[in-house]
Amino acid sequence: MLALAFRAGDSLLALAARDIVEVLPRVPLRGLPLAPAAVIGLLPFRGTLTPVVDLTLLVAGRPSARQLGTRIIVVRIGNGSDSRLVGLQAEQVSELIDSERSATGLHLPEHAWLGEHLADQPGLPQLVDPAELLPDALRALFTEQADA
Amino acid sequence: MQRNSQLASRLSLFVGVFLVLFAGFALVAWRTLDQVRVKGVLYDEIILGNDLIADILPPPQYIIESYLLTLQLVEEKDPAEITRLIERGNELRIEYENRQEHWKRTLAKDTMGDLMTVTSSRAALEFYRLRDGEFVSAIRAGDREQARRILEQMRQRYEAHRYAIVEVVALARQRNAKFETQADELIAGQTRTLSLLALGIVLVVVVMAWFARRAAATLSNRVQLVSDIADRVAQGDLTTTVPSTDDRDETGRLLNAINGMNQSLRGLVTRVKQASVELMSTATEFAATSRQQESTVQGFGASTNQIAAAVKQIAATSQELLATMEGLNAVSGQTADLAEQGQSGLSNLDSTMDRLAQAANAMAARLAAIREEAAEITGVVTTISKVADQTNLLSINAAIEAEKAGEQGLGFLVLAREIRRLADQTAVATLDIEQMVKQMQTAVSAGVMEIDRFAEEVRSGVGTVDRVGGQFGQIISQVKTLSERFDTVNHGMRSQSQGARQIGEAMGQLLDGARQTSLSLREFNAATESLRDAVTVLKQEIAKFNLGS
Repeated sequence: MLALAFRAGDSLLALAARDIVEVLPRVPLRGLPLAPAAVIGLLPFRGTLTPVVDLTLLVAGRPSARQLGTRIIVVRIGNGSDSRLVGLQAEQVSELIDSERSATGLHLPEHAWLGEHLADQPGLPQLVDPAELLPDALRALFTEQADA
Repeated sequence: MQRNSQLASRLSLFVGVFLVLFAGFALVAWRTLDQVRVKGVLYDEIILGNDLIADILPPPQYIIESYLLTLQLVEEKDPAEITRLIERGNELRIEYENRQEHWKRTLAKDTMGDLMTVTSSRAALEFYRLRDGEFVSAIRAGDREQARRILEQMRQRYEAHRYAIVEVVALARQRNAKFETQADELIAGQTRTLSLLALGIVLVVVVMAWFARRAAATLSNRVQLVSDIADRVAQGDLTTTVPSTDDRDETGRLLNAINGMNQSLRGLVTRVKQASVELMSTATEFAATSRQQESTVQGFGASTNQIAAAVKQIAATSQELLATMEGLNAVSGQTADLAEQGQSGLSNLDSTMDRLAQAANAMAARLAAIREEAAEITGVVTTISKVADQTNLLSINAAIEAEKAGEQGLGFLVLAREIRRLADQTAVATLDIEQMVKQMQTAVSAGVMEIDRFAEEVRSGVGTVDRVGGQFGQIISQVKTLSERFDTVNHGMRSQSQGARQIGEAMGQLLDGARQTSLSLREFNAATESLRDAVTVLKQEIAKFNLGS
């Protein structure tokens, strides 16, 4: 399984390559002042406006560093007609890893988006499930926006 | 006895009469004793002893023992005994001859002397001649008949000798009796004379006693009178008047003298009384004046003490100051020297500083060039890292696409991975370069700052050096003027110190004078006190005298 490793604060995380649409450099976004704190702006991507969530802000409580390593990963949430695109901003998005084996770590009910650990990689990166990533309120927000 | 004849001459007269009488008495008594002293008690004792010896011992002048020896020799048969008897006979003859010599010298050439030294002696010497000659030779020959015949001749001589001795004894007895009678008569006559003299002495003594009694009575009365007057004078009563007398003897004169003394004493005491009053007031004035003067002198002494102390302090201070000034002078000289040295050193420093400033400026320019170059490097590196980033992103997207393509994308995936690895290495290298350039830039910046600061310091140092040089010049000139002033001050100080010392000595002398004056005043005060005491005592003593009205 090919996965993209990155960091959100101190946590070493990973996303499966099949969930990723495209990796973009950090580009200027249209800000959303009244939106929840983790939603840092809108990204025009392939003809649609894609909301971008800062994972570092979500996990570590601080915005991502303004570095070249900080990139936006565009993922698809949901299946079929329900699916839609979300940008996830994270730090040190530069490493692709091949993992053969994954194992379940600690299960946190309130953070279901944190999945299994890649057991054969240094630092035991934890897989992020994009479908579970966003809180319900955010998801609803994105869905309605998409409907509109 | 005249009234006005003096007592001493009267007594002398009495003593002279007594002495004359007593001398006469003594002369008579001495003569009597001289003439009759043989009849005294001691004389009788001596005579008794002589009589006893005369009765016991055979008399040498009466040769009866020699005669008896010859009788014994005629009958004696033992030759040893004969020899002893002959020797005894010789001894007796020598004894007789010695005594005969004595009597020849002593006795007068009268009848008794002739009998003793001529008649009896001739017979005795004949007897001894016969005995020592024919008789002894007959005895030794043993011819007793011849010896008896010679003994008969010797007996006739002995008889003649004995008759003469008997006559001498009779004559001596008669003479002794006559002398004793004379002595008795003499003693009786002298005893009468002595009795008369003793009677005269008793009479004189009686008369003397009578006159002495009279004179003593008169003397006693007068002396009693004088003694009473003297007692009263001693108790201070000078009012007594003594009846003057015409008597010219000692007591009369004594009375007159006492009278005169009494009067002059009265006058004297009166005058002394007045004088003592005046003396008392004078003494009081003296005491008051001297006390005042003493307090003044003491105050003067205290003031002088203070002044002396102050002057001493001034002298000490000025001397200290003098020493300090001398030290200061030396120091200022040294300071001037040092300042000159400093000035010459500073001019050297000045040129060095200038060179240093130039060097610093050159270094700053070079550092600026380095900084610019570093900035250019940074720009290139940034470009490289951007390219590397883009390459990395592209390879990631390519890999993701290949993964999604499945089996067909495998080869593409390997290619994408290689590209991504190169891009990563480039990024790491650019990161290193960037880091190095940053460090270089930091170091250059720090160096530039240091150089700037150094240059600034050098500039300010040059300014400071210039300023200090100017100050050194000022210091030198000031110190030079200061040195001259120091000399002046030094001179003044020295003269001041000397003056203070002179004042101190003068103060010391003044203090000594004041002390001596104070002592003298105290002594004077004491003397005045004792004078007052003495005057008081005098007044008390004089008050005892009663001068009457």
